[in-house]
Amino acid sequence: MIRLEGVCKSFDRAVLSDVNLDITDNCLFGLIGPGASGKSLLLRMITGLMRPDRGKITVGGSDVLTMGDMQLHEYRKGIGMLFQNNALFDFMTVAENIAFPLRRLFRLPEAEIAERVAERLARVDLPGFEARMPAGLSGGQKKRVGVARATVTRAPLVLYDEPAAGLDPVTSQKIFDLLRAEQRAANATVVMVSSDLDRLLTVTDRVAMMLDGRLIFEGSTEEAKNAADPRVQQFVHGNVDGPL
Amino acid sequence: MSSPALSGLARKANEWLSLIGGFGVLFGAIARCLIRRDFDRSEFLRNLYRMGIKSLPIVTVTALFTGGIMVIQAAPIIQRYGAYGLLGWGAGFGTLREIAPLLTALMINGRVGANNTAELGTMAVTEQVDALRALAIDPLGFLVAPRFLAIVTTLFLSTIFADALALLGAAYAGLGFLGVEPAVFYRGLTTGLLGFGDVAHGLEKSVVFGVVIGLSSCHFGLSTQGGAPGVGRSVNATVVASAAGIFVLDYLLSFALS
Repeated sequence: MIRLEGVCKSFDRAVLSDVNLDITDNCLFGLIGPGASGKSLLLRMITGLMRPDRGKITVGGSDVLTMGDMQLHEYRKGIGMLFQNNALFDFMTVAENIAFPLRRLFRLPEAEIAERVAERLARVDLPGFEARMPAGLSGGQKKRVGVARATVTRAPLVLYDEPAAGLDPVTSQKIFDLLRAEQRAANATVVMVSSDLDRLLTVTDRVAMMLDGRLIFEGSTEEAKNAADPRVQQFVHGNVDGPL
Repeated sequence: MSSPALSGLARKANEWLSLIGGFGVLFGAIARCLIRRDFDRSEFLRNLYRMGIKSLPIVTVTALFTGGIMVIQAAPIIQRYGAYGLLGWGAGFGTLREIAPLLTALMINGRVGANNTAELGTMAVTEQVDALRALAIDPLGFLVAPRFLAIVTTLFLSTIFADALALLGAAYAGLGFLGVEPAVFYRGLTTGLLGFGDVAHGLEKSVVFGVVIGLSSCHFGLSTQGGAPGVGRSVNATVVASAAGIFVLDYLLSFALS
């Protein structure tokens, strides 16, 4: 389980205020909300890339904030992450990007690495892209390579920050369906941030909504669609009129 | 001095001290990686090729013309006193101890240092460095230490190369401008006025200059913020800080090693 207790963070203003959230194991959890509401920050804090000013973050019973270097290293080996801007390594080919965690962390045989890279690329509809460089890819293609890299290690915890940004509707749905299938096959815990609510809510088990750094809703996908809070209603259904 | 001026001065001094402190912390972390051999060797070799081999053209041009310039500047004195036999010594003394390491460092700073900062800065602002951490890869061992070591190695080897080419350039300039035969030039180099100590003097400087360029480019690169304009600011800061550091340390080393 991922547990956030009283998490607060400020830069020149408060960006996270007293966030309390439990994410159960083996579920696909959606994190929604308007831009700059703190969703990506929460993902970074779960990986230990950013520390809150106050609060506690535990994953599987271990306090992320008190982990030493070796413990953090082992913890992160069990995480797959897709960044909002993809964060592909510019000086590596597509295949090298996807193979990177397999080669560096798990030291698998080259034949197996090549097989898994090819399989990942086929799954994200980019067969034969191994030798391409990130600079030569479209935004949508970069996103799909990022998804391939995040899922290649079959990690028990996977974090996606806007996995379908820049993708056409058909490819977008394919990606969401893929991530759902991957989550079920691996029995992984997935936390997904996405603005594409129509497609996100077709695959999530539970959803939480952030607004101005505060958590204003947490519940099942159905509960989100029928939430009593007018702000949640307006956001989930994409209504122009409302309190937001 | 007025109070605002004093505050400004204090703030500037604080910035410089923070910078030097940051360099110190980074150097300690890199040294730990290198001593433990906890760095990526293939990244080191890849960067050594990009930084070293690909800098050969600019080092070649710099060195050849440096040697020639030394002779041109010395020519009036050589001709006045008929000291043609000392041309080799004169060109060699200045080149080996000072000019070759200094100009090579400035060239490498402009080409390699700036490029390294730009690359690391771009990686920082596009979350690639964070992606490494999220993948449980230490950016110091994978990115920084190999590049630092490649820069120091590049500067050391480039200085040796530059020394040889500068003397070659000087020899041919001596022949062209002063009619000094290469054999005479060579005798001037090797008749005991110059020794391995003079070569070592320059090479020791090259290692220190390499450390300055490596630290500066890695520090400013990794601490880049603010997107593309931030990368530009970091590159500018690297070039200026490295150049200033090279000149200051050149002065101190020239004093200490003599």
